[in-house]
This record gives sequence, structure tokens and C-alpha cells, in this order.
Amino acid sequence: MIALLLAVVLFFLGGLLQPGFVSVAQAINIIRLAAFLGIIAAGQTLVIISGHEGIDLSVGAVVTLSAILVFRIVNGNNGMVIPALAVALAAGALIGLANGIGVMALGIPPLVMTLGMTGIVQGTILVVTQGQMIGKAAPIMGEAISQPLLGPLPGIVVIWLLVGTLMWMLLERTGYGKRLFAVGVNRETARLSGVRVPVVVVLTYMASGVLSAFGGFILLGFTQNVFLNLGTPYLFPSVAAVVIGGTVLAGGKGSYWGTMAGALVLTLLTSLLTASQLPEATRQIVLGVLLLALLSVYGRQRALRQ
Amino acid sequence: MQISLSAQHVTKRYGGVTALSDGTLAVASGEVVALVGANGSGKSTLSKIITGVVTPDGGELILDGQPVTFAHPHAARARGITAVYQELSLIPDMSIAENIWLTHEPLHFGLPVNRRATLDRTRGLLDQFAGVIPVLDPETPVKDLTPDAKQIVEILKTFSLDPRFIILDEATASLDSQQVNRLFDLIEQWKRDGRAIVFVSHRMEEVFRIADRIVVMRNGQTVGDLVHAGASEAAVVALMTGESADADAALAAHRDDTHVNGTGLAAVRLQVRTLTSQTLRDVSFDVHDGELLGLGGLRGQGQEDILLAVFGAIRHGGAIEISGRPVQWKHPKDAVDAGVAYVPGDRNTQGLLAIRSILENLQLPSWAKYGFPLRTSAATRDAGQAATDLSIVMAGLEAPVNSLSGGNAQKVVIGKWLLRNPRILLLNDPTKGVDVGAKAEIYRLLGELRQAGTAIVFYSSDDAELLGLCDRVLVLHDGVIRAELVRGDSLTRSNLIAASVGASHGSIQ
Repeated sequence: MIALLLAVVLFFLGGLLQPGFVSVAQAINIIRLAAFLGIIAAGQTLVIISGHEGIDLSVGAVVTLSAILVFRIVNGNNGMVIPALAVALAAGALIGLANGIGVMALGIPPLVMTLGMTGIVQGTILVVTQGQMIGKAAPIMGEAISQPLLGPLPGIVVIWLLVGTLMWMLLERTGYGKRLFAVGVNRETARLSGVRVPVVVVLTYMASGVLSAFGGFILLGFTQNVFLNLGTPYLFPSVAAVVIGGTVLAGGKGSYWGTMAGALVLTLLTSLLTASQLPEATRQIVLGVLLLALLSVYGRQRALRQ
Repeated sequence: MQISLSAQHVTKRYGGVTALSDGTLAVASGEVVALVGANGSGKSTLSKIITGVVTPDGGELILDGQPVTFAHPHAARARGITAVYQELSLIPDMSIAENIWLTHEPLHFGLPVNRRATLDRTRGLLDQFAGVIPVLDPETPVKDLTPDAKQIVEILKTFSLDPRFIILDEATASLDSQQVNRLFDLIEQWKRDGRAIVFVSHRMEEVFRIADRIVVMRNGQTVGDLVHAGASEAAVVALMTGESADADAALAAHRDDTHVNGTGLAAVRLQVRTLTSQTLRDVSFDVHDGELLGLGGLRGQGQEDILLAVFGAIRHGGAIEISGRPVQWKHPKDAVDAGVAYVPGDRNTQGLLAIRSILENLQLPSWAKYGFPLRTSAATRDAGQAATDLSIVMAGLEAPVNSLSGGNAQKVVIGKWLLRNPRILLLNDPTKGVDVGAKAEIYRLLGELRQAGTAIVFYSSDDAELLGLCDRVLVLHDGVIRAELVRGDSLTRSNLIAASVGASHGSIQ
């Protein structure tokens, strides 16, 4: 709620700093840009809710891998989009499965496990492709994402709203969602209440892999091209969007609506700074300071509520 | 050693809630004053004001005849005022010795004494509880200790400060009767030293054994200050509750209907044969439909392992049969699916999801029955019914469970299993640190479940409960069933205590 309010305030603040910023077209543009981050941060939301220092640092690598897989398999052919998507999602699920098993069965801290997985995935990509990106995005992908689908809303925004609704269903209207929150708050209570904690956690990392892979697929439709670091810039914003959205880093509390608002706030901040014509280095510093300020305000609010 | 301390008409508000409207308490050297009251009556707030943890809004603290204000617990500690709290303050990864001497490491000419001397001093302190806890190495990390040993380390940590004034806040809740006896011997010694002691407890029997005076609180006010000799237990409980219905009456009422439910004819619901675990050796017993089987003995003799093994939550050997059918459970989920429920011993770390709603806590084991997408209105209706049946006092089902008082939180832990109509209910000291009103509710509930045919296995650290509620009591010592005491025959206080300390079958009358 607070994050959403902040997004609206920032938007109109943009209007003050930049005449012409406040317009329907600009709003849709911001939402469209935020959608990529929002979809990639969906899995991150689940993993962070699962608690016990849960975090998925492999989302960037999975985004890249998924985009490259689709790029190759589709090779400009509309008919191959669905099979390519299936392969990409399966690859994401497999990587998530490996993360989940590493965390639960081998007891590797999530930060270490998923960071290691990033290295493995990126290394594998390099070895297999030799740095040569062969393939082509299918025309239908670009159209589905960019063309207006519902009134003025482009396909990507509709897809994001769909993801948001499904995520809400998953968290609030399924047994898995209820168990995930329980696992995030107190694993011993969950176990002694009949919850199979390892199953819930492994499924969560798998879901994160699948959602990141879907994010890679969508991103390819937008960029129409792939490169080795395609997903990397989304990694840390995906964590920041979750936290700005009010999900507790310690786990057990949060929502995907919050993450969506967090993605909007981050995208707006970046856009405003880009429009400000400050030098790149200054922009980076200002963004860092603003993020710190935002996150510390959130930390304080939680302390007050408890 | 001399001290006199009094709190006069102390008040404290948190936001719109008045925690303490008139807290008055006076204690002097060589005196034990019991501070009693239901959960939420203001005992803890008053204790925290005296020890400088909380700053009062009004009223006066008078120490040795002079008004004082403590800005910080250190200020109170510097004047010799300390407390042992129920919520443990120990650091899990540090050793017993490090925990005890934290912030006041033994010094010699201003320099820390060597490690060996510190360890010797720690052993000296631990020796005060020799015989009632296992021999402990002072370098053992606190996280490896049983709850009772942790509580004792907590007491010793406070005592190592050589305080003039000690508040024991529910410090006996995790202790068994032998450990309580030893603590009471120490308290008598402290009295002779000229220290002043405030003893906060829900256990009336202990209060009447140790206290010189009894101060009663209700709704944030001191409502009575009774001299022990002239006070009856009924009078104290009446002051606490503000009405005459009390826990003992509930116990007595329950006792009457135990005879209605003879176990001789009922079918065997749970059969356990040669159960073994890290602490258990060859434990065998049966529980019948509608029977309330008690587990007694000193703390940590394997009672918890029996409950956890039956619930499939720990590795174990031996055979378990439910209604004649052998079962091999690898996970509590298997037990839950078969209609077994377990109320754990520590509700905060094992029973509750602190920041989640009362609704989600009640429904945690049961979501599967609400389909996909979850029929949340049905789940809310069922949880609301359970909350009403248990008379849980709450702002609403959506309120976080950690907004509840201890007794109401415990009702939630029990309530989540009632929603599943368990056929076997396992309880691990369910009334620990719970106020008299909630205790009475829990006793009533156990009676209803028995009438409905639920087989109940009930561990309690409170001998009075075992004697008052159970059809049979198995007394454990060192992982072995030392005695089986049957109501109307061998179930007496003296037999229970004799078997607890490991007396053999022959000596039990």
C-alpha cells in the first residue's frame, strides 16, 4: 500500500521536475518497463517469504539462459514459440530443483547456493555457445508483448496483471501458500503441524526458477536479441523490489502486490534519474542513496508495528 | 546485607492500553513476597519497573528510604536489584560459564582471572543444584542444554551478581519438583543472608510453601496483600479472578466424572512396544479410547521423546500400533493424517507462527480440506467456531497470534488440533505458564475429549495435575517406566514422588 502510494507520488513528482512527464502514455511506458522486473521478482518474493535467509541470486542467470534457449529453438519461427517456452520453463524448474536440494538436503546457505548456481549457469552458457548467439526471436513474441491488447494496455502489462492475479491466488488461496508463510515464520512449528518443510522449500525454489525463466522469455520478446549479461541487471533490483514492497527479509510475511508496487517505484526512480540529465556516476550515487533511505524507512516501520 | 524496596501506586500505559494502574509492593530483607495474578494482570510490568527495564509513568519507587528512578536495567543492577525471567536471556552459542559471567567476568587486581578459575567458580555455582540436574561441563554451549538446565543457568547467572533483591518471574515453570525443592532451599538461604525475594508464579502450591506474604494483582492493580499464615488458597484465587470459580474447582469437577469413564471395557487405541530412542529404553504401554494417561517423573527423563516418537517426529525403535494396525511414521504429517495431534512443550518456538493471524495458526494443519482455491469463508467460519468453543479472548481472527496473552495463545495451539477431531491427543506440559482461568478451560476441554472417546497422553511437570486429572500415570526415570500408578489404587502423591526419584517398584505402597 505504502509502496503504491510512493509510486503515485513519484510519478507526479516527475511531472514537476520534467514538464510532460505526467501523461497516460508515459504511465503505460513506466508500467511496461516495470513489468519485466516485476515478473522476475515474483519468484524472488516466494523465496524470500520462505525464510531462513532465503534468497535466489540465480534469477539473473536463469533469465539469460531462458532467453538464449528460446532464441535458439524458435529461430524466427512462430510455430516453435510454445515448445521453446516449455523447454525454457523446464530448464528454470531444473535449476530451481538443484537450488532447493542444495539448500535443504545439503544444508548450503541459500546465498551461497544460488550464487554458485549463477556461476555454473553462466559458465555453461559460455562453454556451449562459445559466445556466439545464434538464432532469432519469433515475430509473434514482439507483437504479443508490445502491441495494445486491452484498450491502450500492451500485452506485457496484461501478462503482468495475470501473473499478479495468479501469484495472489498462489499465496492466499492455496494450501501451498499458507504452508509457505508458515515455513517462513517457524519451521519447527510447521513441521510439528504436519507440514513437510523440505518439500515446500524445494517447490519454492523451483517456482522461482520457472518464473525467472518466464521473465527471460518475456524479456526476449522486448529486446528481440540476446547477450551474455541480459538478466544480470535485474538481479539486485529483484531483491530491492521485494523489500520495498513490504515483504520481510526474515521471511513469513509479504505479498506480491507489494512487490509489483516496489517494481514500479524502482522503475520510476530510474526513469526520473535518467530524465534528469545528471552524469551517469551521479545518477548511480543518487539511486544508491535513495534506495538506502527507502529501505531504512521500511525497516523502521516494521519495528514500530511489532 | 540490608535492603528495603517499595513501589507505590506505580502506573504504566502503552499507547491506549493501561498495563498498570496502581502497582504497590513492598519487600524488605529476609522476606519472600509472592506476586500472583492472572496473565495480563500487571505482574510483569511491575517487575520490569522495579528492575529498570520499563520506566513508569507515575508513582514512586523507594529504595532504602530514598526515592529512586532507574533509567536503565544497569542502574538497578548497580544497586543490587535483579530478576530471573521466564523468557530466557541466555545466548545459545556461548558456554554456560560465558553466559553466567557475561558483563561481570571475575577480576583479580582489575584483570580477568584465568579460565580455570572462572570454570571452577562456575562449577561451584552449578554444585548448588547437584543431584537434581546431570553433571554439566561449564564449557557446554547453552543451546545443548535441556529447558530445565537452561532455567537453572539463568538463575545462577542472576545469583552470580550477588544481588540484594531478586525477582523470580515464573522461574519454576520449567523445573520439576526436585529442582523446585532445591531452589526453595536456596531461597531460604538467601533469606538468611538478608536478601529480599519476590516470587512470581502461577503455582499456588509453591506460593504457599515459600512466601511470607502474598501480593495479589488483578487488571493492573494491587488488590490484596495477605500474610501467608492467615490466607487460604481459595481467598487468594478469589482475589485473582475476582470471582469464586477457580482452577481447583474445575479439577475437582473433572475428578468426579473420571469414574464414569472406566477404561476396563474400552478398546486399545494406541499400543507401544519396546520403544527406544536416544533417551528411551524399552518403553511399552497401552492407551484406551477415552483414557487420560499421564506421564510423570523428573523433567527430561524421556517423557517428551515418548510423545515425539508416537508423533513420528524423532527417530525411534520399537513397534507402534493404532487400533491394532502397525504404523511406521517417518514424518509428523503421517501421524496427523492418521488422526494424531501433538501439543508441544514450548508454544513460542514449536507451537505458534508468531506474526501470522490467529486464523492461519488454527488452520495450519487443516488447509488441505478446504480444496482449491481455498474456501476461505468456510475456513474462517470453522476457526471462529473453535475460537468460541475455547473462549479465546481476541480482537479478531485476523489479529496476529502474538497479540494474545499466554493462556489464549496456548488455547490456539490446542485449538488447531480440535479442528481435526483427533483420535489420539499428545500433550507436552500444556498448562506451563498459563493463568488459572485458561488452565480451567484446558481441563474442561480434556474432559470433553475423553467423553468423546479421544485417547490422551499427557505429560505434566505439575504433580497436582497428574494426580487430579489422570486415570493412570506412568512415572519415567532415566528413559524407563519406573512405575504405573492407577487411580483409586496406587496413584498417590507419595508414590509419584518416590517413583520420580527412581525408587524401585517394591518400595511403592
